[in-house]
Amino acid sequence: MSELSTLARPYAEAVFKIAVESKSTSEWSEMLGFLSVVMQDQEMVAIVANPKVSQEQLTGLVLDICQDQLKEQGVNLAKLLVENERLILAPQISELFEAYKAEHEGYVDVEITSAYALTKEEQKSFSTTLKKQLGKDVQITTSIDKSLIGGYLAKAGDKVIDGSVKGQLQQLAKKL
Amino acid sequence: MQLNPSEISDLIKKKIENFDVNVEAHTEGTVVSVTDGIVRVHGLSEAMQGEMLEFPENTYGMALNLERDSVGVVMLGAYQHITEGDTVKCTGKILEVPVGEALLGRVVDGLGNPIDGKGAIDTTETSPVEKIAPGVIARQSVDQPVQLGLKSIDSMIPVGRGQRELIIGDRQTGKTAIAIDAIINQKGTGVKCIYVAIGQKRSSIANVVRKLEEHDALAHTTIVVASASEAAAIQFIAPYTGCSMGEYFRDKGEDALIIYDDLTKQAWAYRQMSLLLRRPPGREAYPGDVFYIHSRLLERASRINAEEVEKLTGGKVKGKTGSLTALPIIETQGGDVSAFVPTNVISITDGQIFLESDLFNSGIRPAVNAGLSVSRVGGAAQTKIIKKLGGGIRLDLAQYRELAAFAQFASDLDESTRKQIERGQRVTELMKQDQYSPMSVAEMGVSLHAANEGFLDDLDVAKVRDFEAALQSYMKSEQADLMKQINDTGDYSAEIKKGIQSAIETFIKTSSW
Repeated sequence: MSELSTLARPYAEAVFKIAVESKSTSEWSEMLGFLSVVMQDQEMVAIVANPKVSQEQLTGLVLDICQDQLKEQGVNLAKLLVENERLILAPQISELFEAYKAEHEGYVDVEITSAYALTKEEQKSFSTTLKKQLGKDVQITTSIDKSLIGGYLAKAGDKVIDGSVKGQLQQLAKKL
Repeated sequence: MQLNPSEISDLIKKKIENFDVNVEAHTEGTVVSVTDGIVRVHGLSEAMQGEMLEFPENTYGMALNLERDSVGVVMLGAYQHITEGDTVKCTGKILEVPVGEALLGRVVDGLGNPIDGKGAIDTTETSPVEKIAPGVIARQSVDQPVQLGLKSIDSMIPVGRGQRELIIGDRQTGKTAIAIDAIINQKGTGVKCIYVAIGQKRSSIANVVRKLEEHDALAHTTIVVASASEAAAIQFIAPYTGCSMGEYFRDKGEDALIIYDDLTKQAWAYRQMSLLLRRPPGREAYPGDVFYIHSRLLERASRINAEEVEKLTGGKVKGKTGSLTALPIIETQGGDVSAFVPTNVISITDGQIFLESDLFNSGIRPAVNAGLSVSRVGGAAQTKIIKKLGGGIRLDLAQYRELAAFAQFASDLDESTRKQIERGQRVTELMKQDQYSPMSVAEMGVSLHAANEGFLDDLDVAKVRDFEAALQSYMKSEQADLMKQINDTGDYSAEIKKGIQSAIETFIKTSSW
């Protein structure tokens, strides 16, 4: 996984630069997202890995699947990836692209997991406190996990703020 | 310690009451791969070099390789339960181990946990394992001796407090024996000892512990064990652990002696870790920084001045210097001192005690090669009496070595050559010493005086050791005052010289051996 992101980085950087220059980051984001979904399909992975499928066939297939999802430059990227045998990196490229985009636009994705559904006000207070803590605008996505028992768990990239009852119980267990 | 159930529940209750709930913020990553004790972790963008990382089920690892998209972690201990996708947390701490007086008399593992079944270690102080050695300003030159209690070493290759003296030799040449004798001889001197066993058999460690107990020397000693069966990371870290425990005494104005037995195995453990972390191999497949692992360790053995001790203790200890003396051990293969690790450690240390299997097998034990062994700073620290008498011994042996080849033509040699050879043979014989019987300064002084003044020259070579034993027991019983005076002052004044001279003369007249 880590090796794959190392390989994907130059592509993601190049795509991001083009996107910023042409002011089409969200467009690119959609294109890469689509490509990444395609490349996560098991059958697709098998086809890419199959040495009997020639590069022309593969290019044709990819372009066929994507059809008008890909703009001109997107088609070029797909062709380039096929040529370099790096089509498999599409999910990583998309992931890195999103990270660059978030950094460029100055916000962080925060994933909040809680034991019970959050109300609107709670979400609002989360976003204001987290903004203060992280020094950036936050985009919150929420999910529910009953195993937390109570409280919440906020994740922003690598950073984790653990305010769940489960985490506190673990801390207590360690202390005993 | 026996506890009944109600007491236990009381204890738990108290702990729960004192437990303050805080929201924990940390950096997390996920395990990507687990191979041979090396775990690759994705994420952890804020991990520090050498930081402790927490894995599931209370296991820990140490971050060693910080790469762009992943962190290479070596596991400290069992890693079988770790699977791909597990979460790893940063702790924000560098590895720390317990230090303090309570560790004396104990046997601990490479992370400072007790393994001698004597219960928990009663200390609250901890110290990071990796520390920077004292600076130039904090240091003081070496001018007090550490008596190892071995005639051949104390007279010819003296070790001072704060010195690093390498013990080097092939397997089975008595390297550990010298170290153990040195520990036994520190009994009652106030020098605290730390014995770090790296990559050794558990049976030999048990043996060492038993011998120290037998000679009443465990009370001032801590034994740090990273046996051959432990993870490479633990074997790598154990010397630093021991060093931190020794520094505790140094920093509060006391003297400590640490023995690393042996650093070859530590280098092997480090090589294993480095190769598995895919660091580029260099000479003998060691990584590029194998010199640095030893130099930074041995640099921490030092003597620090009184001002530094005062500063470190917050003014509690005044006017006392502290020292940590290191006796690293290196095992050579077939006497090859020009291999990579031996040359490195030779160049780092302040001298070496070179042991040879030929000498060992011909019955010269300790098998010290007096020609190749040196001490670069110990001379300044030697006791006066040993210094004065040791010079003659060294010279006698050096001359003997040059002429030894001619010994078989004894009848054809001129008088002076023959005399030198005979003196050399007797001095060589005198330098032999049994294991676990270290000698005091006075005892050594008497033996060396006897050799210097030619009392041995008329003896049969085979009788030298009997003569010495009889002389020592005579001095002990009849000349206790003189011996005490020498031990207290360490002087070799005209008066003491005369005292020894006349005592030996009376002994020769009155006794048989």
